[in-house]
Amino acid sequence: MKEQAPILSELDPGGSLRESLRQTLGVRRAELLIGALTGVAAWSAGRPGGAAGAGLTANDVRILQFDLQLEYLQAMMYTQALRLGHLRPPVREAARVVGAHEWAHARALKQLLGSRAVRPGYFDYHGVTEDERAFLRTAVAFEDLTAALLKYQAVRLDSRTVLAAAISLHSVEARHAAWLRRVAGALPTLKAFDRPASQASMRDLIVSTHFVAKNPTTGARRAPGFTG
Amino acid sequence: MRSRRPVIAALLTAATIVAAAALGATALQGRGSQGAGDAPPAGSGRADLTEPPFGANALAPPAKPAFKVATPRPLHLSGGVSMWAPVTHPALARARPRAHARLLARVSTRTPEGTTNILLALGVHRDPRHRLWVRVRLPILPNNTTGWVRRAALGGYRFVHTRLVVGLKSLEATLYRGRRPLFRAPVGVGAEGTATPAGRFYIRDRLTRYASPFYGPIAFGTSARSPVLTDWPAGGYIGIHGTNQPELIPGRISHGCIRLRNDDIRRLAALMPVGTPVTIEQGR
Repeated sequence: MKEQAPILSELDPGGSLRESLRQTLGVRRAELLIGALTGVAAWSAGRPGGAAGAGLTANDVRILQFDLQLEYLQAMMYTQALRLGHLRPPVREAARVVGAHEWAHARALKQLLGSRAVRPGYFDYHGVTEDERAFLRTAVAFEDLTAALLKYQAVRLDSRTVLAAAISLHSVEARHAAWLRRVAGALPTLKAFDRPASQASMRDLIVSTHFVAKNPTTGARRAPGFTG
Repeated sequence: MRSRRPVIAALLTAATIVAAAALGATALQGRGSQGAGDAPPAGSGRADLTEPPFGANALAPPAKPAFKVATPRPLHLSGGVSMWAPVTHPALARARPRAHARLLARVSTRTPEGTTNILLALGVHRDPRHRLWVRVRLPILPNNTTGWVRRAALGGYRFVHTRLVVGLKSLEATLYRGRRPLFRAPVGVGAEGTATPAGRFYIRDRLTRYASPFYGPIAFGTSARSPVLTDWPAGGYIGIHGTNQPELIPGRISHGCIRLRNDDIRRLAALMPVGTPVTIEQGR
């Protein structure tokens, strides 16, 4: 079985690489667009008190909000790929199960965060959900990274109860990664030890994919010009 | 001098006994600890995972997880779901999914109301050069026109589970989710000479908080256009909106728009998202 090593760098279907993006203003704009992952999260986490998510520290809220938005990003990708109907049976079956898991994770995180839960963003997968190969690569990259991210976050969580819950997600994400790697024809795992991936690197990666887009404006406060 | 010898001998004996006792105790302690539960001596090579050193008594009590992930719900992918996408770049709509196929329309990124122009997506096709095309319903005349635009001109897809059916005969609007009717209300439609066009359309935008009682509190823009009022300033689009003349509903009263009583349009607005497909039926 052949290993497809640098899946991370293949995430952006348009070929835009992180480094080149950093050098352009586009990155700044994209950074603004993922306010749900950063600014809103930081603002919301900084709020004192609140019934929802009571007992959570600001640090834990920030981590959980990031994870929730990431779960939405993944869950919506699976749903969209399935609805568009371009997946063959083995990939479709994996996407169906993994997608349902991601939605279950999102619901659990949303419930824990309560009023501090972030709303789902508006996602544009730039054709990834219409191409099985691109979809599979992206899904593998996301699952690999999510497992690595949870590893990074676990040692930074303040609450042991949140940690206990987070590790229940971590092993499932790792299994998703192994399953999808297998479906993609890659080895489920190569290394004896995994490295964590930082939240900042994950955010950079999401920015580079341009998957988080500006919400379309479908409403306005102006007099209609319809025929009447 | 003679008197001191027995004392020294006694002290030496006592010291010997104490030393022996200490050595014995250390030896016993070492043996005992090995059996009682501490970690095995380093390098002994005799660690046994079934023995108490690794048992539960040596660990702190577990933390109760802050949340539990419920059993995943299967993804419902059955029919009754429509999808739309915003136009993010000005595009050319063509009759076929080919770069040189007949041009049907130029599609802009904005509607006449200033909102993002959205298109109802009906299918996807990859051309021989591996470029993606999306078949879309177009907001142009003649009504019911569909065409193909490049995927790259569109943003991310959104899904809607509702559809609105308007009967020009029954003068009634019904909103469905799947097969289940969610909402039903009488409507006013186009008068003779400015009839409401029949066909398949979609909701393009939603306008609120304007100062025009004629349109009621809320107005939805659709992709339908009046085939007769072609020189209407804003393009002659057909709206679905409230009214300041509720006594005329139901009836054939408008310039083509679909009018609802204000309470009804408010109820409808709470249930119908932008992107909802609209079918206007002549014979219903």
